[in-house]
Amino acid sequence: MQEIKRKYVVPGDVVVEGNFRPLMNVVRTGNSIISTRIGIAESGREGVKVIPLSGVYIPRVNDIVIGKIIDHSSLSWEVDVNSCFSAHLPAQDVFGRDFSPARDDMGRFLSIGDLITSRIIAFDRTRDPMLTVQDRDLGKVQGGELLKISATRVPRLIGKRGSMIQTIEQATQTKVLIGQNGIVVVNGRKPDGVLQAIRAIKMVEEEAHTSNLTQRIKSLLNVADPQQTEIIPKPTTPQEIAQDSKNADDVQSTIEEVEEEIIGEVEKGEKL
Amino acid sequence: MTQTKNLIDEEGKRTDGRTIDDLREIKITVGVIRNADGSAFIEFGRNKIIAAVYGPREVHPKHMALPDRCVLKCRYHMSPFSTDTRKNPAPSRREVEISKVMRESLEPALILEDYPRATIDVFVEVLQADGGSRCAGIVAASVALADAGINMRDIVSACAAGKVDDRIVLDVNDTEDKEGSADMPVAYMPHLDQVTLLQLDGILTRDQFNESLDKAIMGCKKVYEIQKQALMQKYFGNETELKEEQ
Amino acid sequence: MSSSKRSTIIVEHLRKQQMLEAISQGKRLDGRDLGEMRPFEIELNVIKKADGSARVKLGNSEVVAGIKVETGEPFEGLEDKGALIVSAEVLPTASPYVEPGPPDEETIELARVVDRGIRESEMLDLTKLVLVPGKIVYVIFVDCSIINADGNLFDATSYAAVSALLSSQIPIFEIQGGNVINTGNRQEPPATTIPVSITSIRIGDAVLIDPTAEEEACMDARITITTNSIGNFAAVQKGSTGAFTVEQIKKAADTARIKGEDIRVKLEEVTKKTG
Repeated sequence: MQEIKRKYVVPGDVVVEGNFRPLMNVVRTGNSIISTRIGIAESGREGVKVIPLSGVYIPRVNDIVIGKIIDHSSLSWEVDVNSCFSAHLPAQDVFGRDFSPARDDMGRFLSIGDLITSRIIAFDRTRDPMLTVQDRDLGKVQGGELLKISATRVPRLIGKRGSMIQTIEQATQTKVLIGQNGIVVVNGRKPDGVLQAIRAIKMVEEEAHTSNLTQRIKSLLNVADPQQTEIIPKPTTPQEIAQDSKNADDVQSTIEEVEEEIIGEVEKGEKL
Repeated sequence: MTQTKNLIDEEGKRTDGRTIDDLREIKITVGVIRNADGSAFIEFGRNKIIAAVYGPREVHPKHMALPDRCVLKCRYHMSPFSTDTRKNPAPSRREVEISKVMRESLEPALILEDYPRATIDVFVEVLQADGGSRCAGIVAASVALADAGINMRDIVSACAAGKVDDRIVLDVNDTEDKEGSADMPVAYMPHLDQVTLLQLDGILTRDQFNESLDKAIMGCKKVYEIQKQALMQKYFGNETELKEEQ
Repeated sequence: MSSSKRSTIIVEHLRKQQMLEAISQGKRLDGRDLGEMRPFEIELNVIKKADGSARVKLGNSEVVAGIKVETGEPFEGLEDKGALIVSAEVLPTASPYVEPGPPDEETIELARVVDRGIRESEMLDLTKLVLVPGKIVYVIFVDCSIINADGNLFDATSYAAVSALLSSQIPIFEIQGGNVINTGNRQEPPATTIPVSITSIRIGDAVLIDPTAEEEACMDARITITTNSIGNFAAVQKGSTGAFTVEQIKKAADTARIKGEDIRVKLEEVTKKTG
């Protein structure tokens, strides 16, 4: 097990001095590694990074995002993905390659104000994000309670291998759809359960930086035996797929390590 | 500027009771504007200023976007009731200039290359003006940018020094600004040890110039501690250290 | 030129459906009844440099109003009255949709509707604000800065302007040797009544008061009705592209009297405490 040092930082703070590798949200000036964000700094043998606690969502390829249709041209929909750029969903993605703007009515499939669960298939410094809905569990969101949380809190809400969100889902008998962009949709048969889940999600958002959060969520939701939620289930929902796939990137694995280290609820040293 | 009145008494006290090395009282609250991506409210002496940050977001109109970096926009504006005599709400030449130097004082701290084709808007509204409103505005804007989670190399702090009764004083107030003989607003990045704004109105000798600059920087360092405290309070509450568990 | 345009906020179908469902059961998405105002806070004298000021929060909408009193020429045709000028600016801090720059038609409408409520209710006895009839009068500026926008800016701005005026201490000017002198003394403004506006919107068949930004984005029509202290009507502004039935308008007018009185009591209470 490697030694990782953590501390709270604001931009400009020196995280560590010496020959460390800058990994994420840090810059090197001279002999110092400096944080560029407000958040939790981690320095270890692998390098130095800061888990940010604020900031708008920056798109990344393969992220699952929940977006809102805000406009359409004759060839694509424009989608608000709660980010610095709006994304595009090409009509061909929905209608297939022989899509014809003259024959196919785009409005029949998606109209302005609709929500979609989608995956980012392309994005770089030169162009806006491109989306697809052609995957299991992607497509139009049919119902549920809509919530917006800071995208920086999403990894914490998912938790190590989905542990946090599963705790919430099981205790409240709800299904929670999470976009990496901070858009969350809660579905459940019982209105009380939905309200409980929303309360828990808001608590995760507000207290993401604190330790023992899973325990507090469990007591909020009256989960009696913490051992019961230790089962690692198969990935079924998009966020779990995102969670389990290799694209669970730095942010995610870092947050998971925080959970793992701070809460100590999963076997130590395990890596994705 | 020529000075007529005595602004420092025999005991070395200034018009508001401070010594020459005291700052006015400063209070910063982070996250006051619900709709903004980042925001801060600062009370700096009698200044009451709101800073709000929106972005990074899409540039409108689109052709204004830059392919390799983010466009930073900044507006410094005074509400009509902020000054002794009512201010016309239309932007004055003074406000346009301050908007520009304010943007240039913040820009060195921001890693704008991280957000190509996007824009960051910084809006600074002076609800009540006192001496040094541009410095107070920069201080609030910098905190709002950090609150918005923009990648920054450092936090920009700001403070003025000036000459009153032939002495160099820290953090010039309204009366001293109007009746003193020199005013030097400075913005400074404490970790990088770099000056990002420097203006001077009034005559200073070479020694006075150096003393004034040093004093302003000392003030910036003090102001920085208040900025950092405000951010820590918002994000970590009263915890200052991360507790390691188990 | 005024042209119709799409609302800047696009409400998700999901939210709109839920909103309509709630409304059909007499409820709102934030848990309020249709005829219920959001929490309302007033803080007075927040701007010491102004002759009167107030910061008002109505839900998440937040407005700072400041009063500045000067002397100047009277308006043409109103030579025997002091001048009252109400302006409003929706600051770019207030929402991602605000463009900095000269006020657009919505902001000008906002300022004029707030102005009309104060002017037409004869809240201030402007005849008492004359120094030299036809030549020099008191000029009262009421400037409103909207710092965060979440719907019903008409009422939030109006309450800020009215409470700033009620709590103001205006300078006493005198004419000495043909010149205007500020005596350094202050007086309460010549207030005669307290105008209170209540804004209702129609969504489908339902009429609800004090809308949020999200509700305004779904509204069919809007109406702002201002009453004075004895419950008479002083100003009305119907807005947005839809229409009301006569029945709906009469009901909204009754609501404006009843709810307006609640607000008036609160305004009186708060401004007296500091006055």
